[in-house]
Amino acid sequence: MKTEKNKSHEDLLRENQELRKKYALATQYIRQKVNQLLSVMGTSPLRAEELDDETLIELDPISIVSDSFVQVLRHLKEMNEELKDAHDEIAAIFESAGMGILVLDRDLRILASNKKIEDQFQIDRGTSAGRPCRELICHRDAASKCPASNAVESGRSCQQDLVLDERHYHVLATPLRDKQGSIARVVIVYMDLTERILAQEKLKKSEERYRDLFENSTDLIQVLGADSSIRYVNRAWLDTLGYREEEVPGLSIFDVLHPECADCGPEFKSVVCGYKEGRFETTFRTKAGDKIIVEGNVSAINEDGKFVGTQGIFRDITERKRVEVLIASEREQLAVTLRSIGDGVITTDIQRNVVLINKVAERLTGWKQSDARGKAITDVFHIVDELTGELRTCPVDRVLETRLVCELEGDAILVSRDGSTRLITDSVAPILDKNSSIVGTVLVFRDITDRKKLEERIIKSEKIESLGVLAGGIAHDFNNLLNAIVGNINIGRKFTMPDSEVHKSLERAEKASAKAKELTQQLLTFSKGGAPVKKLAAIADLIRDTADFGTRGASVRCEFSLPDDLWHAEIDEGQISQVINNLVINAVQAMPQGGVIHISARNVAVKPMELQELKAGNYLEIIVQDHGRGIPRDYLSRIFEPYFTTKDSGNGLGLATTYSIIKKHDGTIDVESSPGAGTTFYIYLPASLDNARPSDRGAMFVPHEKATGSVLLMDDDSIVRETAGVILNLLGYKVDFALDGNGALEMYKQAKNSNSPYDVVILDLTIRGGKGGKDTIKELLAIDPNAKAIVSSGYSNDAVLANYAVNGFAGIIVKPYTMDELGDELRRVLSSK
Amino acid sequence: MEIIDFDIRGQICPSSLLVALKEVNARADNLRQGKVKLRFITDNRDATTTIPESASNMGYLVLVTKQEGCYIIEIAGKKSSLPAA
Repeated sequence: MKTEKNKSHEDLLRENQELRKKYALATQYIRQKVNQLLSVMGTSPLRAEELDDETLIELDPISIVSDSFVQVLRHLKEMNEELKDAHDEIAAIFESAGMGILVLDRDLRILASNKKIEDQFQIDRGTSAGRPCRELICHRDAASKCPASNAVESGRSCQQDLVLDERHYHVLATPLRDKQGSIARVVIVYMDLTERILAQEKLKKSEERYRDLFENSTDLIQVLGADSSIRYVNRAWLDTLGYREEEVPGLSIFDVLHPECADCGPEFKSVVCGYKEGRFETTFRTKAGDKIIVEGNVSAINEDGKFVGTQGIFRDITERKRVEVLIASEREQLAVTLRSIGDGVITTDIQRNVVLINKVAERLTGWKQSDARGKAITDVFHIVDELTGELRTCPVDRVLETRLVCELEGDAILVSRDGSTRLITDSVAPILDKNSSIVGTVLVFRDITDRKKLEERIIKSEKIESLGVLAGGIAHDFNNLLNAIVGNINIGRKFTMPDSEVHKSLERAEKASAKAKELTQQLLTFSKGGAPVKKLAAIADLIRDTADFGTRGASVRCEFSLPDDLWHAEIDEGQISQVINNLVINAVQAMPQGGVIHISARNVAVKPMELQELKAGNYLEIIVQDHGRGIPRDYLSRIFEPYFTTKDSGNGLGLATTYSIIKKHDGTIDVESSPGAGTTFYIYLPASLDNARPSDRGAMFVPHEKATGSVLLMDDDSIVRETAGVILNLLGYKVDFALDGNGALEMYKQAKNSNSPYDVVILDLTIRGGKGGKDTIKELLAIDPNAKAIVSSGYSNDAVLANYAVNGFAGIIVKPYTMDELGDELRRVLSSK
Repeated sequence: MEIIDFDIRGQICPSSLLVALKEVNARADNLRQGKVKLRFITDNRDATTTIPESASNMGYLVLVTKQEGCYIIEIAGKKSSLPAA
């Protein structure tokens, strides 16, 4: 311790120096370490002037840097952990990637590969590392290029589609550079496209198939957008509608829809706009404007639930429609023809069942088409023999056996469903198809009931006609005889005292002769219905006399209501008498137990349209009423038909003649009848307001002032000539006779040339074997245009009599005539100019 | 988040760096947890290199912005958000 205390000042100084030296060294060391640490931190070294030693110690930079290092390390550690996580993630991705991944060195030797590579190329990863990839993957030769070699050479990513082991790959090679920037590794990714390519190929083939269908379809196919624009169409569409492919993009469906198709427009619009789908018919318009009728389907196209357009397929049915219309109209025409044909037509199939039955056949058989269809022909078509009444075999059977047209032998009676019968003729023909096989029969039959009746009527009518000719002939001669009788009675009466019995006998004979004359007139009118020879006449007496004559000998009497002021009428007395006679006879026959016939007449003025068939004017209405059995309603419309009769004894001519006579007098006849109550006939005859007194029908001889003049009488009948000669002499005329026309003309010429011409010529209309009145008057007028001639005939059927004035005659006298009638007519003719 | 400002103008490297590191070290946990952000104002250009580099190595986010006559260096933890550098 002493030593310590005894340390010298020098020692202390020395020690102090040494300590200072050590401190400096220590500080030096600290500065050096601090600088070393600072350079690690990347900053500049400490500067002495900046930090003195004491501040340095106080600042403690080592501690600061060291703390900072701790944080650097901590940060690095965290980073390492993140990196490891990232590495693990990448490794997992690498391993589980859906595509094969290879990592190669720059010599293209395998550094790493993932599981997918192992699967894709059957590589054992345990042995593959370090081996060139081409040996294991693509087996190409070393000199050839591949994406990996290209990537190494170019330094850029390279890709290529390759087929390896029959599978398609998209190969992408990406170079990886080291820190120096040189290529150290290449990553290759193999994306297997096989499934996709196969699917694409499949799709392509399928599309081609559908495109073939689309293009080669003969139907029109179109795809429209939502705005109705036309997107795609097929060849048939273009060809049919006459557009070129390049024109399609500008088209809308409404360019193609025919504007005339007014109905289908809105409907089609609703379809093309996707509101409606389905099958329908519409009309398209070609580019040239032609109409095409199409039928088809349209359906909507939706993508992701959104309407994007429609697709349609149509068939051109224009021709089909045309043919359908044609067939329909032909069928209609045939059906109408068949239905309206005048004969009964029934067609059958080969089973003999009815297929079709026309209107006439329906009526004749009583079977309606709806009932008859499918029925056996024998059920519908019953025929029995006309003579024996036995059931006849149906001709359809024979046709089906012989395949030949078969005519019914003789007429048969068809018995209809309701039992009524008609007389028919029929024929049956086979219906053959195009192979000449028989497919049915057609049975045609005709109702000849009416024809038969008509034939019978014609025969009857011919009979009556010949009777008429006979009657006409007889009447002519008979009239001549009657003329002589009447004339001579007239003459006889003239020479007897009016109060004497002879005079009265002659008067009765004269009345009977007048009736005989009417009888011949009636006979003539019955036979031919001759044209009326009209004269102004008072009708009351005519009615009364005729009616009384008609009821003679019957238990029927007539009651008359005939006012005195009845108008006269221009009538053919004989014919009107015949009319009254017919009506009276009918009335008598209608009242076999007897009774009263009411006959009345009155003047009527018919206003326009008041009575059918009559012009406005004045008429005589004659009513003939009986209280007999009456006429059935069904017969009323037919009673005026010729040969219509309900009486066993009637000839069916009475009322027909009546009708004909009234019509020829410009009048009309009507009938009312109720069965059991009687029948009333109404006759209207045009009245004449001529006040001239009609010729007196009275047969009484009234002497006239003696006449003068010369008459030439032509008649081939000597009795007529003689009687007329006496009458004419009695009347005061000088008379000469001619036997025929030539004789008369000769005599007329001679008399004219000798300056003693005849005042009047009476010409008989009919001269047997010689020139008659009609021919003679023409020549007579040629000789002397002022010649006056009267036509005379008992055969009043000739139109010459009705139109005597037209034929050049000045007058007419119908045989047989009385002295008065002849005298009146001669006076009238001679006094005329 | 708390922002602490340090004005280290007038100091040059390495002292400016050491000052910054000392402050960062002292608040390492709060910085990392994003509770605090440090903002240094310096007029030393070297410091704009050395401080960001050191702080980045230590795992911080750094943003340097130049202002009138000085620089502002912002340091924050990784979880914090700094305006993009």
